[in-house]
Amino acid sequence: MSGSLRLELALLDNIIWLMLAAFFALCALTIPNFASWNNLVNILYHTTIMSMLVLAQGFVLMSGHLDLSIDAILAFAPGVAILAAVKWFPGVLGNPWIAIALTLAIGALLGLFNGVCIASLGMNAFMQTLSVSIILRGLILFLIPLSIFPLDPVYSFIGKSRITVLGNLPAAIPVTFFIYFFFHILLKYTVFGRNYLATGGNPRASFVAGINTRRMIILGFVTAGVLSAVAGMLTAGRQDSVSNTMGSGMTLLAFAGALLGGTSMSGGKGSAFGMLGGAILLGMFSNALNLLGVKVTLIHAAQGTLIFLAILVDRFRAALRSSILRKDQLRRLHHHSVHEQAEKVISS
Amino acid sequence: MTGPALLLEGITKIYPGTVALENVHFEALPGEVHGLIGKNGAGKTTLVGILAGLIEPTEGRITIGGKVFSSLSRARAKKEGVAIVPQEPEIILDLSVAENLFLGDLGSAGAIVDWRKLRKNAESILSMYGLDIGVDLQARDLSLSERQLLLILKACVVEDARVIILDESSAPLSGKDVQILRRIVEGLKASGKAIVYISHNIDELLGICDRLTVLRDGRVIAERERLGLDHQSLSELVIGEGFSRSSARSGSLPPAGREEFLRVEGLSRWGVFEDISFSLHRGEILGIAGLRGSGRTEILKALAGIEPADEGTLFLRGQPIRPRTPGSALSRGIAYLPEERDAEGLLRFFSIRDNLVLNSIDKFSKWGFLSWEKCSRLASEIFREVQLKAFSIHQDVDELSGGNRQKVVIGRIMANSPDVYLLDEPTRGVDIGAKQAILSIICGRIRSRSGVIITSPGLDDLVDVCDRILVLRNGLVVREYARYQFDEKKIFLDMQGFGIRNRRGGTECQAV
Repeated sequence: MSGSLRLELALLDNIIWLMLAAFFALCALTIPNFASWNNLVNILYHTTIMSMLVLAQGFVLMSGHLDLSIDAILAFAPGVAILAAVKWFPGVLGNPWIAIALTLAIGALLGLFNGVCIASLGMNAFMQTLSVSIILRGLILFLIPLSIFPLDPVYSFIGKSRITVLGNLPAAIPVTFFIYFFFHILLKYTVFGRNYLATGGNPRASFVAGINTRRMIILGFVTAGVLSAVAGMLTAGRQDSVSNTMGSGMTLLAFAGALLGGTSMSGGKGSAFGMLGGAILLGMFSNALNLLGVKVTLIHAAQGTLIFLAILVDRFRAALRSSILRKDQLRRLHHHSVHEQAEKVISS
Repeated sequence: MTGPALLLEGITKIYPGTVALENVHFEALPGEVHGLIGKNGAGKTTLVGILAGLIEPTEGRITIGGKVFSSLSRARAKKEGVAIVPQEPEIILDLSVAENLFLGDLGSAGAIVDWRKLRKNAESILSMYGLDIGVDLQARDLSLSERQLLLILKACVVEDARVIILDESSAPLSGKDVQILRRIVEGLKASGKAIVYISHNIDELLGICDRLTVLRDGRVIAERERLGLDHQSLSELVIGEGFSRSSARSGSLPPAGREEFLRVEGLSRWGVFEDISFSLHRGEILGIAGLRGSGRTEILKALAGIEPADEGTLFLRGQPIRPRTPGSALSRGIAYLPEERDAEGLLRFFSIRDNLVLNSIDKFSKWGFLSWEKCSRLASEIFREVQLKAFSIHQDVDELSGGNRQKVVIGRIMANSPDVYLLDEPTRGVDIGAKQAILSIICGRIRSRSGVIITSPGLDDLVDVCDRILVLRNGLVVREYARYQFDEKKIFLDMQGFGIRNRRGGTECQAV
């Protein structure tokens, strides 16, 4: 494979970062104050919650499934944990560290439930996670009719606090970057990550190759549950309260972020790095619309357009990739036949 | 009647590197059952593909009912009255029997489905041929044999085609249903349709056909009237005689008294195979010969832990084991090469390297972290060893040809250096060059360190490479051949079930 071909393919695989750079340049030139440090930090800060959900959704997509319950888990996990800490068992579970552990555990357990239903009992992922999502939303509406506030500062730390040594950077930003870095390593450099991607790419072949595919799928959903719970803690921390509306409507946008980031809807393909780009583009997009003074009601429609764009980019990328490879093959064939002819000439 | 209903003249099909069909002439007259037989790889599938409009011939003419075509499309073939019952049943599991039967022409009463009429028509067709199935059952509830019969009825009776092609349609049928198929074919004949009947089963062909065409290596070897043929003469035509071929095998048999790797005792899976026992030594290649549905793939899958057996014991180097998943079989050194390369063997989105190291990835990691460098080194080594024709180990497997993809799957299980290789049709669907390369890898490096069990679509491959061949028929081992006894014709007849004294003491020889 020639160097230029490899470069072309690498650019295509990271097309999201190209789009992000182009969009950033466009906004920086046309919108005043867009490129200021404060606004950039603001964009990243507002992206953190969505980026957790994008990662959760993208991770499940890689195993060849999908999860519609992530935004419900986002509300349910911190909601129940705080309820337990404040109302049900304030004595035992009042410690904020325990509340954090409980939040993550609830997320993991809900993910485990999804995973077992889907991988072991063979339920359809769409139907199963849709039902869980409706159940959780209903329960949280029943359990927390009114917001509970304020929260313990330890609990709200990752969502709310700013780190002075880093120029007042919100703690949520480094936390998000760290988690993305972790997943990048996990997917690229660990046996688990490769087996996980293999499971999504061809479950039957992976099973025959000796991978415990059922466990892979279950762990995918567990991971999504934990990441959604982290997103829930970021949300709760930012508003310093838990409420029943947290995260509503974010699941479908998370699909858009994952898709923009190069994750395949049919499994087996995707990277943490790409998904981060997808999530940031989503955040930058709504920030730009805000600064331009677009009405909040119209922002939804604009985001819908972005989802459409994500699908279009995905198709475009697949088509472009095969055309690049075909051209390369033609070039090599041509090269080859020229060589042969030269040899013939020499031998005659 | 004027002329043949279907006429193929000078049909040639060339694939890169191989000639699948060469100047083939084939005709089917109205009111005639014309049988087509040939070994695997003889070109039957290609010929059927051309008739069905799935494959475009390189040269030649197709005449259907007086109209001449240079190639057919699927829709065109259908319009001209060619109906096909394919090998792989295409049935919609969630629809009722009646709907499946009339699929594509439900609305005989306009846009609204007239359920009563639909059911009545379906019932009358089913009862006409003595098929006792409720028309309201879902296709899912039917046995494989019944599903197949339903498709045959759809093609033969409902679609009212001029030419009907039955492509190994009888393979999944049970004994009773074969009789029904025979009745259907008789009925079609009487009403002046032309039937092309493809089968591996010589007995069945002799029983049902009026005329037979034998294909071998892409050419028509013979076209004979049924009356001038018997088992013996037809099998000779199919297999061919006195041909020589370069053997992939070099050197003599490995020395006797080798280490026993695998012993299988009384392996059974209900309704699939029964009481299979054999042993496999280091450096030995054991072939399993059998027709489709004889249980050969299922035995390998049982050994690999993919579809575990119900009964029986496995000994690996003398130790009893019970693999329940492919993972556990693999960790003990039993590797399986899947029959369906793309569905069960390859990861399309992964590069050649990532596919090659899939099984052995644990070896290149420390505390769960991978060393890509070591992976690449091993992948390059195997890349050379299996003589992959690709530009780099980083290329995606999508871009490779069938033969090279097969080499990737073989390389993948080699990377694990297992003790026992279970190779399920390693040469299926690859061109002749790749086939020779694969067979020589099996006889070379793979055999030198391990024991191999192999199945193949063609007997010639098995005769070429094996030390022993077990012949399987209807899930039973009916005979075992050592290398010095190999005789392609005898093995072929055993697979067909002629004159075999089975273990219960009876004979299975069928009367014509």
